[in-house]
Amino acid sequence: MRIVLDRPRCEGHGLCEEAAPQLMHLDDDGELVLDREEVEGADAALANAAARVCPVAALRVI
Amino acid sequence: MATTPTSDIDLFADEVVLDPYPVYAELREQGPVVHLRMNDVHVLTRYDTIRGALADWESFSSTSIAFNPMANEALTGTSLASDPPEHTRLRAALTENLSPRALRGLKGRIEAKADALVAELVEKGSFEAIDALARAFPLEVVADLIGFTGHVRDNMLRWGQAAMQVLGPTNQRTAENFPVAGELYEWCSQVEATDLTEGSVGRGIFDAEARGAIPPGTAGHIIHQYLGAGVDTTIAAIGNIVALFARHPDQLALVRANPSLAPAAFNEVLRFWPPINAWGRRATRDVDIDGVVIPEGAQVAILLGAGNRDPRHYENPDAFLVERNPVDHLSFGYGPHGCAGQGLARLEAHAVIGALSRRVDHLVVGPEVRVPGNTTRSIEELPVLEVIPA
Repeated sequence: MRIVLDRPRCEGHGLCEEAAPQLMHLDDDGELVLDREEVEGADAALANAAARVCPVAALRVI
Repeated sequence: MATTPTSDIDLFADEVVLDPYPVYAELREQGPVVHLRMNDVHVLTRYDTIRGALADWESFSSTSIAFNPMANEALTGTSLASDPPEHTRLRAALTENLSPRALRGLKGRIEAKADALVAELVEKGSFEAIDALARAFPLEVVADLIGFTGHVRDNMLRWGQAAMQVLGPTNQRTAENFPVAGELYEWCSQVEATDLTEGSVGRGIFDAEARGAIPPGTAGHIIHQYLGAGVDTTIAAIGNIVALFARHPDQLALVRANPSLAPAAFNEVLRFWPPINAWGRRATRDVDIDGVVIPEGAQVAILLGAGNRDPRHYENPDAFLVERNPVDHLSFGYGPHGCAGQGLARLEAHAVIGALSRRVDHLVVGPEVRVPGNTTRSIEELPVLEVIPA
């Protein structure tokens, strides 16, 4: 599975990082960086949790 | 096709807006969609349905967020009341200076302000929490942020309250508040960069307009939304923090023991008592929800608090439990129209929760006074009779 970020929608709320710090983080400018895009197993579950908490629906797992 | 459940509940009756939870439970059991005959509104009552509708802007248009045509007309051209693709551009202009990214330098200042204010109130020992904290703190933060001075600063509270009241149906509260909301509208239509403090976010919006990053004439609209959407709701949320911690000293004790629970506590305050009761949408087509059809053109009301107390989604939903950390609560909305000011709201609320949990062991409060409102559900007065300091 793959994490897809809709960059223009992302406002840097950072709730995804709290849900899945192993997979993504906000950089010093508050921009989201996906550290891993291809995910499987337990990581896919974390990715789904991160997508779920995004308040502006900017993350998807496909 | 199933028959649409109907109800004779008046969503905007005084007793309903003051304590909507028994009514929400009743409507939620009738179905995910119920037609209210008195209001001619289709209400969405269950968590999954509400979250789905908030994400589905193609079926649920924001051109009817208010429950009367005059307010919807007045909001035309704002990001709040528009749909993609226009919305995408307006939202970007609105959030350029308001996103967590833009605000990340403010955290320390906001925390210091909250701590100083709470310290002063603890020292006093008794105070009226709504005026002294729930109103004073966000009004100061927002005024400094946008750069308001003089008479605007003095009018922020009544303008902000009126802007939410006029989103209701054509009732007495809406009628009484239109002239006050009109003052805000007037002021925002003629405000200029030089009316705002140099270096403020408000000035930044005018700079963005001057360099063509946002369309000509939109800076006033954006400032209107900061005030209209951000003041009354944040005040409600901070008042609710104080009231719920006073009622549930065991929950305050959990945050005292583990300060990293502050964000979780704020999520639970918002889930338990959302600042906004009902928010509008219009169905752009016949929408089928579990076999019940919302007809094209119907006015829809999203009952945020009904979804937040849906036992299908949250276990023991009528209990206030900070450790549940309901990050997916509905009180900020969700998706393209998710609250644009939520980053600022979190900064303010986390700062207040942090200060209270450091400085207060528990609060002894008198009865809370509430006044019925069309949109915002907030406490009007909350006497803190005694502070037992930490």
